[in-house]
Amino acid sequence: MHIDYFRKEIQFKIVYYGPGLGGKTTNLEYLHANLNPDIRGELVSLKTKDERTLYFDFLQLKLGKIKNKIPRFHLYTIPGQIHYSYSRQIILRGADAVVFVADSQPVRMDENLETLADLEKKLILHKYSLDNFPWVLQYNKRDLADSMSIETMQSKLNFLNVPYHQAVAVNGKGVFETLRTAIELLINKI
Amino acid sequence: MLRNSNDTLNGKRIVFSEATYYKIIKILAELKNRLQAQATIFADMNGYPIAYDLKVEDVDIIELTALAAGTFSATSEMAKLIKEKNRFRFIYHEGESRNIYMCHVSKEYLIIVLFDKSVAMGMVRILTHNTVEKLQKILDELSLEYEKTSQFLDVEFKSLLGKELDKYFGLK
Repeated sequence: MHIDYFRKEIQFKIVYYGPGLGGKTTNLEYLHANLNPDIRGELVSLKTKDERTLYFDFLQLKLGKIKNKIPRFHLYTIPGQIHYSYSRQIILRGADAVVFVADSQPVRMDENLETLADLEKKLILHKYSLDNFPWVLQYNKRDLADSMSIETMQSKLNFLNVPYHQAVAVNGKGVFETLRTAIELLINKI
Repeated sequence: MLRNSNDTLNGKRIVFSEATYYKIIKILAELKNRLQAQATIFADMNGYPIAYDLKVEDVDIIELTALAAGTFSATSEMAKLIKEKNRFRFIYHEGESRNIYMCHVSKEYLIIVLFDKSVAMGMVRILTHNTVEKLQKILDELSLEYEKTSQFLDVEFKSLLGKELDKYFGLK
C-alpha cells in the first residue's frame, strides 16, 4: 500500500497468482473489457509470442474521490510457468492481497498445489505466510465438463478456509466478485 | 504534517514529511529543467511513483513506474547470475525520439528520467548521478516511524469504498 498525501491517493497492489494457463490474465482482460473506461487504465501485457505471460500483466483501477481521497488498485498477474519463479517473487513484493486462480481440471490439480506451495514460500520471503496474509481462492473453468467438484477442490486447496469464488473468467462469471472479496480482505486488514 | 509515505519491511513505514516531499520535488524539477527532460520520477521498487515532475501529458506515469520497477528488479537478478557483486548501476533504453534512463537511489528506490534524443547521454548520466546523491542524503535523514493507516482510512471510508465498488462492479 502506498499513501500519497500530496495527491490524496491511496494505492493498493493485488496480485493474481496461480498455475500457468489457469486464467489469471483472462480475469484482467475481462475487467479491462467490462469496466467503465473512466475508472480503469490500459491493460499492459508482457507476453511471449505464444500469448503466455512473460513477465506480468498490469491494470490499474482508479475510483472517484471518497471522503476527499482517491483509491487506486494496481492489479498484477504473475507468469504461471514455474521457471519464472524469480519474476513471481519480484511481482509479489509489496502486495496487499492475492487472488489465487486455481484451475478446476483434474489434470491441473498438481500444478495448483505446487503453485500454492510456491506462493507460501514466496510470502515467507516477504515475512508473511498464507495464514496471515489476505488472499482469496478463485476456482476457475467451472464450465468444463471434467471440472472437479467444489468439495474436492476445497479439501485439497482451501485448508485455511479462506473466501472462495467459482468462476468462468472467460465469460466473466465470478471475476468481479473475486476482486471485490480481495479488496474487502485487504481493507479489513488495515 | 504528513505528505507522503510508503511501505517498507517489518510493518514499519517510511514517512516523508511535507518539507522532505517538497525537497524531493525541487530536486526532480532541477534535474528535469537542466536536462530539458520530459519527466523525472522518484519511485519505490514496489512500482509506486512517490514524487515526479512532468513536462508531458501523454505518458501514464503509474504504468511506466510499474514497468520500470519490474525491469529493474529483473536486471538486478541478471547481475547476480553473472556474478556481479553489485547491482547494475543504471538501465538505459534508447528509442527513436525518446529515451529512458533509470538508476538506483537505494535498495528500495529508483529514479526514472524520460528525455528527448537531442539530449546528450553523458549529460544525463552525470546530472542524474548528482541527483541520486542528493536524494540519498535525504533518505539517510529519514526516520522510520510507525504510522496508523487507520487514521487515513476510517470506517466510513471503508464502507463508502465498498458501495462505490459494488456500483462499478454491478454487484448487489
